[in-house]
Amino acid sequence: MTLSLVMHDWRLLERIVGLTNRLGCAYTRVDVHAGDTHYHATIDFTGPPDALRRLDAQLSRLLNDDKEMSR
Amino acid sequence: MLQPAESTGAQLVLDVLADEGVETVFGYPGGANMPLYDALYSHPIEHVLVRHEAAAAFAAGGYARAGGRVGVCFATSGPGATNLVTGLLDAQMDSVPLVAITGQVRTTLMGTDGFQEADVTSIMGPVTKRSVCVRDVRDLERIVRAAFRVARGPRPGPVLVDIPNDILKARCPKMDPFAPRPVPTSVEHPGIEALDETIELLRNAKRPVAIVGGGARSANAVYLYRELVAMLELPHTATINGLGCATPGDPHFLGMLGMHGWKAANLAVNSADVILALGMRFDDRVTGKPDKFARNAKIVHADVDASEFGKIVPVAVALRGDLRQTLERLVRRLGREQIPKFSGWAAEAKALGGPLPADRTPHGALSATDVLDAFFSVAPDDTIVATDVGQHQMWAAQRQRAIHPRNFLTSAGLGSMGFGLPAAIGAQFAHPDRTVVAICGDGGFQMSIAELATVRRHQLPVKILLIDNQRLGMVRQWQELFYEGRYSHTDLSDNPDFVMVASGYGIKAERVEDAGELRDALGRFLNSREPALLHCACFPAENVWPLIPPGATVEDAMESAPRTEAIVA
Repeated sequence: MTLSLVMHDWRLLERIVGLTNRLGCAYTRVDVHAGDTHYHATIDFTGPPDALRRLDAQLSRLLNDDKEMSR
Repeated sequence: MLQPAESTGAQLVLDVLADEGVETVFGYPGGANMPLYDALYSHPIEHVLVRHEAAAAFAAGGYARAGGRVGVCFATSGPGATNLVTGLLDAQMDSVPLVAITGQVRTTLMGTDGFQEADVTSIMGPVTKRSVCVRDVRDLERIVRAAFRVARGPRPGPVLVDIPNDILKARCPKMDPFAPRPVPTSVEHPGIEALDETIELLRNAKRPVAIVGGGARSANAVYLYRELVAMLELPHTATINGLGCATPGDPHFLGMLGMHGWKAANLAVNSADVILALGMRFDDRVTGKPDKFARNAKIVHADVDASEFGKIVPVAVALRGDLRQTLERLVRRLGREQIPKFSGWAAEAKALGGPLPADRTPHGALSATDVLDAFFSVAPDDTIVATDVGQHQMWAAQRQRAIHPRNFLTSAGLGSMGFGLPAAIGAQFAHPDRTVVAICGDGGFQMSIAELATVRRHQLPVKILLIDNQRLGMVRQWQELFYEGRYSHTDLSDNPDFVMVASGYGIKAERVEDAGELRDALGRFLNSREPALLHCACFPAENVWPLIPPGATVEDAMESAPRTEAIVA
């Protein structure tokens, strides 16, 4: 599973790594590029399909809160 | 000297809190957050000095759960902040809105292993919705306000703002009360198609059951929930956080669901063909073995958090959105549709189970369940109960008569011992005129026993109903049932004299060990307008029934111990 994520706080990567590990998944590639006001991350995840689905859903929640915190 | 239009970071924080509607905060001062406490010295916000930071987080949680407002707690850097971890995770698990503000060492010391320095934002990351350190005083107001928006929703939870000492001292412009502010992001509503599918499922259902969870409390959707189940005459049940959602005395309410839930509730869900799951998250204490949970049912799941859909059980229809608005739409639509009522099935469902199974206690011994039955029968209708965690929690959940979910406060998801007394303190600050009772076991009570000093200082009329079985009772019960009676480190028979302890804190206390004394003692306890402790010396080996063993199904429910004699251990 490859996700393109927009982060306003780059420290969110730490949460993403922790959550990935907690759900029994892993990542094989992380690319992060800094923009003016936010960061673009492209991450390749591997893991059981159910866990990846949960990870995707929980990352959406995390990124929504990050977006709200940045306003 | 500050100029008239100037403030310090600390004053700004307090002004923003007040502007966000905060009247009371729970906390503990230390080196790094001294500027905040200096500003508090002359600020109208009320500060409640707890005796341990963990209690600050629990009390703020109790305040938020009972009052429906954001709870706020303060702690200093390092150990002060780390002591908040459990309370913040507790709020995260039960979706309770909380803002924690921690002092941090000054920015130049951060990363040097300075005195009382900890990487608080990293530690708090997994236990909060967001955890942010303020590095520039110009960001302070924006971040604190954002913390409140994120804490409030759409799904509430805790947010931590870590503020270094020099940022708290820094000069900055005063808060402008008229400055434009971001409005909260709007929440999406379930689409017409999902509502159509829900109605179609209900139209064809023979045995539908509604399950309500804490989401109804968070979304202020309790009365719409009551309208929905009454409109369809649906049998319905609740997770522990959904207790109090049902109309008091509703004959179609089946009691609590789950591991220690009522038999009728578990059997009805097990035989249902449609489940309306409203603001609940299929916790393992509810589902047991997920692939066997309600296996004949199509599940309609309404939740504000899309990450809950399909997390534990497959969902036929997902109704994403604020539960209040979802129920408004559903009730409106159902009012126009020809949906048969389910009163016949509701009566059948109720008949699936009988009364709660009682455990044996020796003649003359005080039974904890008798104490709780007696308590709930005489407590005022609008009593707020905060439980601790363990057997007494389950006994109370089975028997409670809450008229609203904000009247039954319990650490449901995390199961944090030590929650009960500080949560009751928080609830009493939210509702100074209501009867607030902390129901505690002897284990959990001793984790927060120092908060008797907080009760005493504020002369809070909090009542503590102490169910003392001289054991870590729930663990003892599992040792009896699942570990061959090997009672490893669950004996608390050398407990202190709780009446003396309470008296030492200046709190009126009484001990009861005879069932015949109970009613009168409860009367004195509840009628007092002062803080009071009623120490109930209960039989040590009473168990909680029914019990669905972990990872098992309703068919495996136990209603008594396999052995015939009661075991005192």
